[in-house]
Amino acid sequence: MPIWLFLLLATLVSAPRADLVESTWPGQAPARAEYRAGSPDKPAVLLLHGFLQTHEFPVIHRLTESLNSAGHTVLAPTLTLGIPLRKRSLACEALHTHSQADAIAELDAWLGWLKGKGVRSVVLLGHSFGSMQSLAYAATRPNPMVKGLIGISIIEGRLSGGRMPAKTLADDQGFVTQPFSFCKKYRAPQASLASYLAWSPERVLREVGRLRVPATFIMGGKDERLGPDWIGQLQRTRATVRIIAGADHFMDGEYEFDLLDMVLEELGDKRP
Amino acid sequence: MSPPSLARLALLYVLATGILVAGLGLFFWVEIERTGAAILARERQAARVEVEEALTTLAQRVRSRADTIVQWEETLQQLYHPDYYALWRDDRVRDAGLLGGGLRVVALYDRQGRIFNGVPGPDPMPLELPVATGQAQFLNQGSQGTLLYFVPVHADPAGRVLLGHVGLKVDLADELRHQWMFRYADPARIRFTPAGGARLGLADLPRLAGYEPASDPQSQELQKLFQSALARLSLLVLGTLFLASGLLNYLLVRPLGKLSRRIEALGDPVAGVAIPPSQPLPVLELDKLRLSFDDYHARLSELNASLERSSRDFQDQAHRDALTGVHNRRAFEEDWGKARADRRLGRHVALMLFDCDHFKAINDTYGHAVGDAVIRAIAQGLQAALRAEDRLYRMGGDEFATVLADIDADIAEAVAERCQAHILGHDFRAYGIAEPVTISIGLAISPGSHLDLTELQKRADLAMYTAKRPGNRKIVFYNDEMGDLSALVGNKEINAVFRALHDHHLIEMHYQPVLRLPFMKAEYAEALVRIRDGDNLLNPGAILPIVSARGLDAEFDRAVLAAVARDMDGGLLPPGQGISINLSAAGIVDNQVIETLLSLLAHRGERKVVVEITETALITQMDTASANIRRLREAGALTALDDFGSGYSSLRYLASMPVDLVKFDISMIRMLLEGDPRQRLMLEEIAGLVITAGYELVAEGVENRELLDRVISLGFSHAQGYYFGVPAAAGN
Repeated sequence: MPIWLFLLLATLVSAPRADLVESTWPGQAPARAEYRAGSPDKPAVLLLHGFLQTHEFPVIHRLTESLNSAGHTVLAPTLTLGIPLRKRSLACEALHTHSQADAIAELDAWLGWLKGKGVRSVVLLGHSFGSMQSLAYAATRPNPMVKGLIGISIIEGRLSGGRMPAKTLADDQGFVTQPFSFCKKYRAPQASLASYLAWSPERVLREVGRLRVPATFIMGGKDERLGPDWIGQLQRTRATVRIIAGADHFMDGEYEFDLLDMVLEELGDKRP
Repeated sequence: MSPPSLARLALLYVLATGILVAGLGLFFWVEIERTGAAILARERQAARVEVEEALTTLAQRVRSRADTIVQWEETLQQLYHPDYYALWRDDRVRDAGLLGGGLRVVALYDRQGRIFNGVPGPDPMPLELPVATGQAQFLNQGSQGTLLYFVPVHADPAGRVLLGHVGLKVDLADELRHQWMFRYADPARIRFTPAGGARLGLADLPRLAGYEPASDPQSQELQKLFQSALARLSLLVLGTLFLASGLLNYLLVRPLGKLSRRIEALGDPVAGVAIPPSQPLPVLELDKLRLSFDDYHARLSELNASLERSSRDFQDQAHRDALTGVHNRRAFEEDWGKARADRRLGRHVALMLFDCDHFKAINDTYGHAVGDAVIRAIAQGLQAALRAEDRLYRMGGDEFATVLADIDADIAEAVAERCQAHILGHDFRAYGIAEPVTISIGLAISPGSHLDLTELQKRADLAMYTAKRPGNRKIVFYNDEMGDLSALVGNKEINAVFRALHDHHLIEMHYQPVLRLPFMKAEYAEALVRIRDGDNLLNPGAILPIVSARGLDAEFDRAVLAAVARDMDGGLLPPGQGISINLSAAGIVDNQVIETLLSLLAHRGERKVVVEITETALITQMDTASANIRRLREAGALTALDDFGSGYSSLRYLASMPVDLVKFDISMIRMLLEGDPRQRLMLEEIAGLVITAGYELVAEGVENRELLDRVISLGFSHAQGYYFGVPAAAGN
């Protein structure tokens, strides 16, 4: 019996306890996360959603349930992006005042929250932009609790049309509007956008090489959101790159099981 | 009250229809106005409902939009990080599609109710909350006012953590216009009564709104169109009605009027007024009616003519005598009435009565067929003798009459003689009648200016009676001397006769002696009847015509016999006194009379009884009369032939009848002195013949000695007359 089928049945038969937890940190908006306690013998997983999404994004939600079913404590926070207790995806047209630093700060806070729960070993698991932000945290805030990094469909911080023209960076309000990530008109303060753009492909590859924890990237064989030869460039780093043939950026459909298998393998629950 | 004419009815119909159409037009006009007003009222009501619904929806929508903004996470974002509040307020909210409609401004206020950044914005919002959250403030801004609405924003669903407030500025007109398609209300004229700055709840909006119904030009135009169409329709109908009335007049009224006038003229033609000709009518059915009527009228006229002919025939038949073909009594009376009415009879009018002598005897002897033939022959003879313009009437039986207008006595007598000559010239032997048939004619002439049919008839009757008397001329003119005969027709005398028949005591017998010649010895007395009528006594001259005319002869004979018997039984007649009794022609053949007479003979004793009968009695039923005479003779009676010489004086009768005595009529006795030699010679020869035959002769009317001597010389065996004594009552 495949392990994923076992986990699925386990999910149906014995649904673990799922809680929405909120946390408030000084100077920050209240944040919300789904927390599922697992076995203390297994590393906890801090599962981070993609750009402007929430922890209810399908691939995150499925992984939360499956990993918790596999016995892992899973904490899937929703980055506030400046919105207290944010529940929904933030629209591209919104005023994106959030920054990479805010995300790193919130990850750090949630790790602290996990620490408060007695968790000592955490694997950062991100999807898409969340993979990059998890990498950024691991790279910029070395935390002994973090034992590894798994990036699913990791994507770098870059503008869709290339680099941002210097002279058009900001309007009267100090906002720039650029095609960023999947947003065609992403409007944000210049600094905010720059904080993300700072994590360019080169920096990502560079930071991967500097990581002190093992890093694995699971990529879709047919992910069309990636930059040119992005998977190849990742493969040329120290990180492990695993490819699910045929899968796209969101790993949905039949590929979610392959994704789960690979994640569990990386978490050491099974042998590849 | 005569019914109205068709023309008047048609006019009334057209007028009534016109009034009805006009009335209906006016009614519908008013109904359209009323309907328009009702629609307007309903639209006003609908507008009120519509405005209330619109404002209720507006309030809900404002709340909904406020809730949407409150729940918008970017609102929370601003409440936490208001660094870019102005951009969010001015751009992001608009870009997110939250503005629009009547929502012009969204503003955020902090927990203390102060506006973010202290800036009211380009479309200024109050710097501080003017009202409590959940309430609205009405501003007199815009065409219909502006509403400010504020709601709190909490960090938690339970509403314990207040983050700030959201303020909305809503242009009511724009909001209404965008959210509602008004059908009945005019959105431009929705007004709100609160003064600027008034605080109110959203739910109060419908109550505070004033409105006006939307003008509905289409409805008004439709109403005008309806009214215009109605007016045109009414005029069209009235015009059509006018034309139809003309057509009706042409096709129906006038033709029917013509038809009616023609019918009226045909039904009641007025002299000098032409009957309208029958002309074709413009309507098939009417023309058929006209043709049918003409045909009907033609047939009716034909039928009428036929009826008139039949009526004339019937009337003519009703005025004709079936046996003779001459006019009857009815025609006589009608013609007399007409003649009196038109006074065209001239100076004198003569009524001429004809009567066949002894017709009853002829009829009884030869039968009715012969009698009828005699009547027809008399009618033909009289008609031939009369002038062409004179009408002959059969008055009944053997009696005829004619009226001769504008005539004098000479001409009348000439006509009468001509009539008599025609009758005498007719050969009655062809019918088997041996005796001559003669007629008696009574004439009465009256002035045309004083015509009294009853009186004239009475006079003519008297003249006729006189003519009938034996020995008289057969053509007799009435004269005043006949007045004493008026008892013939006098009611008084008739009543006396009938009373006497019922009460024989009213009959008184007078007796005139008959003397035996030449000894002058009274041998018997002739019983002569009288009738007591009060103080008067009716003589036979007044009695017998009535008895004869009424057919009472036999009955009267019995009454006379009873009177004689009474005198005999009463001893008024001496025991040896002989009696001569007159029997009528009817009595001699009547069994009861014979039996009564036989009874009287049985009680006569030694008395001599003579039964006198006239030769007329012998003519009538000669066999029966002869047999009865023989029975009387066998019973002891003698029989005498009375009034010999006044009638036919047929020697055949004299030779055949079993009589003992022959009484010469007074007219013959008088001729012995007054007659010419030839008449006297004939009388002498006849007397001698009778005596030779074995009869005894009785002379009547012997009034003087000379006449007595004469009859004695001629061999008469008996005589009676005033010379010997007048008739007197028994015992006198």
